[in-house]
Amino acid sequence: MEPIIQTRDLKKIYRLGKVAVQALRGVDCIVHEGEFVAVVGPSGCGKSTFLHILGGLTGPTSGQVLVAGNDFSKMSDADRTRFRRHTIGFVFQRFNLLPTLTARNNIAIAQHIQGNGFNPHRFEEAVEMLGIKEKLDHRPFALSGGEQQRVAIARAVISEPKILLADEPTGNLDTENSQAVLNMLRGLNKTFGQTILMITHNPEAAGVADRIIHMRDGRIISE
Amino acid sequence: MVNKLIVSNVLYRPVRTALSALAVAMEVAMVMLFVGLAHGLVSDSARRQEGVGADVMLQPEATSFFLAFSSAPMPLSIGDHLKQIPNVQAVAPTLILFNTGALSMVYGIDINSFDQVSGGFAYYSGGPFQRPYDLLVDNLYAKANHVKLWQPVTLLNHEFRVCGIVQNGKGARLYIPIQTAEELQQVQDKASIFWVKCTDPKYTNGVYEAIKQLLPRYKITSVQEWTSLMTSNNIPGLNAFITVVIIIAMAIGFLVIFLSMYTTVTERTREIGILKSLGASKGYIIAVILRETGLLSAVGIVAGYALAAVVKKAILAYFPTLFIDLTLQWAAYAAILALIGSLVGAFYPAFRASRLDPVDALAYE
Repeated sequence: MEPIIQTRDLKKIYRLGKVAVQALRGVDCIVHEGEFVAVVGPSGCGKSTFLHILGGLTGPTSGQVLVAGNDFSKMSDADRTRFRRHTIGFVFQRFNLLPTLTARNNIAIAQHIQGNGFNPHRFEEAVEMLGIKEKLDHRPFALSGGEQQRVAIARAVISEPKILLADEPTGNLDTENSQAVLNMLRGLNKTFGQTILMITHNPEAAGVADRIIHMRDGRIISE
Repeated sequence: MVNKLIVSNVLYRPVRTALSALAVAMEVAMVMLFVGLAHGLVSDSARRQEGVGADVMLQPEATSFFLAFSSAPMPLSIGDHLKQIPNVQAVAPTLILFNTGALSMVYGIDINSFDQVSGGFAYYSGGPFQRPYDLLVDNLYAKANHVKLWQPVTLLNHEFRVCGIVQNGKGARLYIPIQTAEELQQVQDKASIFWVKCTDPKYTNGVYEAIKQLLPRYKITSVQEWTSLMTSNNIPGLNAFITVVIIIAMAIGFLVIFLSMYTTVTERTREIGILKSLGASKGYIIAVILRETGLLSAVGIVAGYALAAVVKKAILAYFPTLFIDLTLQWAAYAAILALIGSLVGAFYPAFRASRLDPVDALAYE
């Protein structure tokens, strides 16, 4: 199977004033299409930076990032944004729903930004699968954490991205809701072959993935 | 979809929305009212001069465009020569005094000849002058100053008695006998202006030319021409005043919208990060913020029209002698100015939002 994500000697250095912080120190990684990969590691090991680079939210300092055949390290910010719009879906620890919009509109806006217009069939499919049909007219503040995360997952997959990047998706949830969210991610992977790369602290959460990547001090230490 | 996002954002912070819209409303109302007042006063002045009923005016050569600021008055005997000109029906001499207390003109008139030119006053109450220090006031002056018939009124440092209240629209708002005006100005048999009425308006040009031949060193103006020149463009400083008002109004709208959208962008940093994570481009972010500003402006413009109408009504209730022309043309200009001011004010915050780093924005607390 073709790799959908491939990084070579990926480095990222942040500058905090005069101090240079090496977040990634040469990451080599391959993720194949349809894989569910968990990335685990202690805080500050570079997991989130790795995910942000794979999602095109920030560029690497050096090294190569090939996502669906496109080299992010050679793309402009605008090109990465355009690519992200069609190829990447994000799920965040803090859900990151737009507080002024209802659940329905939080999901629909992703389709709007993608520019393909509202697809009612896909919308129905996503909300049905994630069990949020009854909550569509609620604003985020009126939803529980689990419900918000399910809306966020629906928003992430509504545009049928090639890759779903999940940043600690169960970090703000209780055990029951965590399990529900993990089951949904697993279901997406199994049913639709959705490629998922998930960052987590939780070993149990990582256990649902096909493969676990361990990171420490900006490097992958084991797979 | 973007419209839903914009409307929900606007409704999410009702106080901020209300204040922003109010600033735009004040900008629109300010432009409309000040311009309306300037144009209203000019057109009212023109309307009243026209209302005298004369076809031609004769004034000393160095007379200012404003009738009140005449130079040395002319001898009354000129009137006799004017009456001899063919097709002249009536000639009314008027000595104009400037009432500095109320910044208004007082016409010293010979009531018989003035009536012949103007067709006569329409009296709401009272009647023509009976005594030298009698005063005729128009109905708007009476309303504005709560003046009643037979009431004593101090004018030009003298006490007058109101002998009649007349329909407005014939030159000044205050009229006194011409002899009294001469006495107050310490001149004898003089007039600042001669109003000449033709037997038919079609003879205006002929009469105009005849007066020009008879009195070449005087300023002769057809009333029609004079009223056509009474526009803000011909009033010294008025356009500059209007321009200053517009600049101040636009600056208010610009600054309020700038601050409002700047704080909005700061407050919504995380939301902008979310939109970026979904793939929203810089143009999309700028468009969302500018369209939100456009909505605020639209609400403000409509509120501004209402505010201008209410304030106009309130001003006229307290100052009935003022005239405010709220025109569709200036309503459109005010809307365009408000929209431009708002969009310019919102552009920097929108540009700043579009350049936010998505990772930093998503981490914003």
